Amino acid sequence: MTEAALARDVSRPAPGQTVRIAIQNLNFYYGETHALKNVTLDLPDRTVTGLIGPSGCGKSTLLRVLNRIYDLYPGQRATGRVMMDGENIIAPDIDVQTLRRKIGMVFQRPTPFPMSIYDNVAFGVRLHERLSRADLDERVEWSLSRAALWDEVKDRLRSSALGLSGGQQQRLCIARSIAVRPEVILLDEPTSALDPVSTLKIEELIDELKEDFTLVLVTHNMQQAARCADQVAFLYLGEVVEVGPTAQIFTAPRQRRTQEYITGRFG
Amino acid sequence: MERAEHIVKSYEQELKRLSDMIADMGGLVENEIALATEAVIERDTEAASRAIETDPKVDVLEREIEQFVIRLLALRQPVADDLRKIVAALKITADLERIGDYAANVAKRSLVLAAHTLPFNLTGIAHMARMVQENVKTVIDAVGTIDAAKAIEVWRSDQAVDDIYNTIFRELITYMIEDPRNITPCAHLLFIAKNLERIGDHATNIAEKVHYVATGETLPESRPKGEDPAYAASTRTS
Amino acid sequence: MTSASTLKLRREVVNALALGFTALATGLGLIALVWILLSVVIEGVRALHLSLFLRPTPPPGSSGGLANAILGSLEMMGLAILIGTPLGILGGTCLAERRSWLRLAMAIRFLNDILLAAPSIVIGLFVYQGVVRPFHHFSGLAGAIAMAIILVPIVVRTTDETLRLVPPALREAALALGAPVWRMTLAVLYPAARAGILTGVLLGVARIGGETAPLLFTALNSQYFSFDLRAPMANLPVVIFQFALSPYETWHQLAWAGAFLITLFVLVLNVTARFFLGRGRK
Repeated sequence: MTEAALARDVSRPAPGQTVRIAIQNLNFYYGETHALKNVTLDLPDRTVTGLIGPSGCGKSTLLRVLNRIYDLYPGQRATGRVMMDGENIIAPDIDVQTLRRKIGMVFQRPTPFPMSIYDNVAFGVRLHERLSRADLDERVEWSLSRAALWDEVKDRLRSSALGLSGGQQQRLCIARSIAVRPEVILLDEPTSALDPVSTLKIEELIDELKEDFTLVLVTHNMQQAARCADQVAFLYLGEVVEVGPTAQIFTAPRQRRTQEYITGRFG
Repeated sequence: MERAEHIVKSYEQELKRLSDMIADMGGLVENEIALATEAVIERDTEAASRAIETDPKVDVLEREIEQFVIRLLALRQPVADDLRKIVAALKITADLERIGDYAANVAKRSLVLAAHTLPFNLTGIAHMARMVQENVKTVIDAVGTIDAAKAIEVWRSDQAVDDIYNTIFRELITYMIEDPRNITPCAHLLFIAKNLERIGDHATNIAEKVHYVATGETLPESRPKGEDPAYAASTRTS
Repeated sequence: MTSASTLKLRREVVNALALGFTALATGLGLIALVWILLSVVIEGVRALHLSLFLRPTPPPGSSGGLANAILGSLEMMGLAILIGTPLGILGGTCLAERRSWLRLAMAIRFLNDILLAAPSIVIGLFVYQGVVRPFHHFSGLAGAIAMAIILVPIVVRTTDETLRLVPPALREAALALGAPVWRMTLAVLYPAARAGILTGVLLGVARIGGETAPLLFTALNSQYFSFDLRAPMANLPVVIFQFALSPYETWHQLAWAGAFLITLFVLVLNVTARFFLGRGRK
């Protein structure tokens, strides 16, 4: 465990007690289309929040607001407040690159960069920190270990990342994200392109990662949300219909629409 | 039975927690039966009160396990042996709870019984109680290790319990005919014997569930049963 | 015969006729292609000898080589590549990457395609007007510029298309780590598109290696070895043009040799480009 993580252990309250990101009255537009409507949601510290809902409900959109990746595309804009560490991260004066160090993202299809495994993991670190060779080696090893990949690749760190299997590539992307030591990790349907065993390995990884990071998991597979998340938010047509502890949502949801969706009665 | 562990460790831990809760409940119930038996045979009123106090704890555990099972079903979507285990857990705890209730009834009756002097000894009942205790212990062990062999053992031995119940029944009738002063205590003893026999039946129920979890197959409908003294010609529903 | 079997027969006859015609057409095309290639190869190999690469172009009637023309062509192509490749790659990158240019991009792509298809003689004339006349003499520089103008649209087009094939998730993954756009482009995007971009450059070079018309108005020709780009410079295509039309046998042979060399050059480049493209796809 790194020194920073150890230091965090001592001073932090128990997981779930504080709110890492508070989304308040968020509205999002693709051009003229109103994609997210007055979304308010708290993301507690070091827990997994699952976002579920039918296609087009806005769950991926919501995720992509959090690390400002929508900045890349003209015509996409957000209003409202997303508070993290006392700052509104969707305000225009925020340093987006530092924000993206604190909030990492893993995508649906594995996206290994065309370079060696080592360079992949070191890519983000080299952007933000000046580490000695030894420190960088240690950080790469730490990241790959946390991502449950170290044993499989430790003898071929210099070989191309494109030679790994799908499940390994996705774990590499996770290692890459955690190498910069973010506080929040966004996962956009991370296992939808993987086989069942790789999927389970990543679900186990999510269980382990939430000890140190706050995770937000978008999945169209409700059962995955049931297995992995601590709290679940059900979105429909851009609105948060219901949010609550996972056990409550999946045994006794309060909203009729939530029940209809999770039991598969949706028209 | 050697099994690989689930990839997601928290699932493995939850299943273990379920096992532990059932084991706890089993332990409480075994204890209750032992206390109730002692209360009857040794006419020990303190043992009786302790047995009666234990029963609410058993009920609480049953509700807890039920809630936990529902949560497991919703969140883990179990299949195959996990599913059989979890659903069986629900039914086994119901049987255990009934066993606890019967044991409490025995304890309550023993308090009343203690007020009477008995001209005969209770070796018969003591023997039956020991057999039933033995079966309950074996079946609870079988639940913990999902041991089909032990389950079948308990399932078969229900016949012996029924046989001894019939013997006691006839014996008590004899005492009642001999001397009308025996009628009240014998009546209580009849109920006590009946409760013990019901405990044996529920232990057999549990054995059937364990066999299903272990093999996926149900034991045959008609379990080996002794001759029923009360209804000579009619069939009995389990 | 039932109507079903009549239909069947008619279908089979039509099928056979169609196949026959296509085979015939293919055959004709192939014959022409093979004839050209064979002619070039036979005549060219016949004229091949070491002095081709050692001696300069001879005066009429005497023997010599093509060394200065080869050197001149290489010089001008080198300069054209130096000018055209960065311009082309940067242009293609802007087209593919700047999302705010969306409507402008369509227009630019259209213009680029026109430029791609523009007759090279028009480009030659343009450079003549723009570079040769103000400086009052033909020059290797003008030739290089003309070649660069032909090269740029090719590289722009292939860079643009290759970059657009890179999945957006790859860009987003780099940006999501906090990379600035230039870093993402250099460190992630270009390596991912390396095969396609390289292929584009190679194909472009293959094209400019054989163009004659623009060089007629710009570099003209010369009999000498030269490194002076401000003066007319010898080059293979114009040499072939001149020597082929002449009445001298020695010059004809040299022309064939030159044609063979250019063909070989284009062939090698194409094969290399295909090899890279194949590797990039894996």
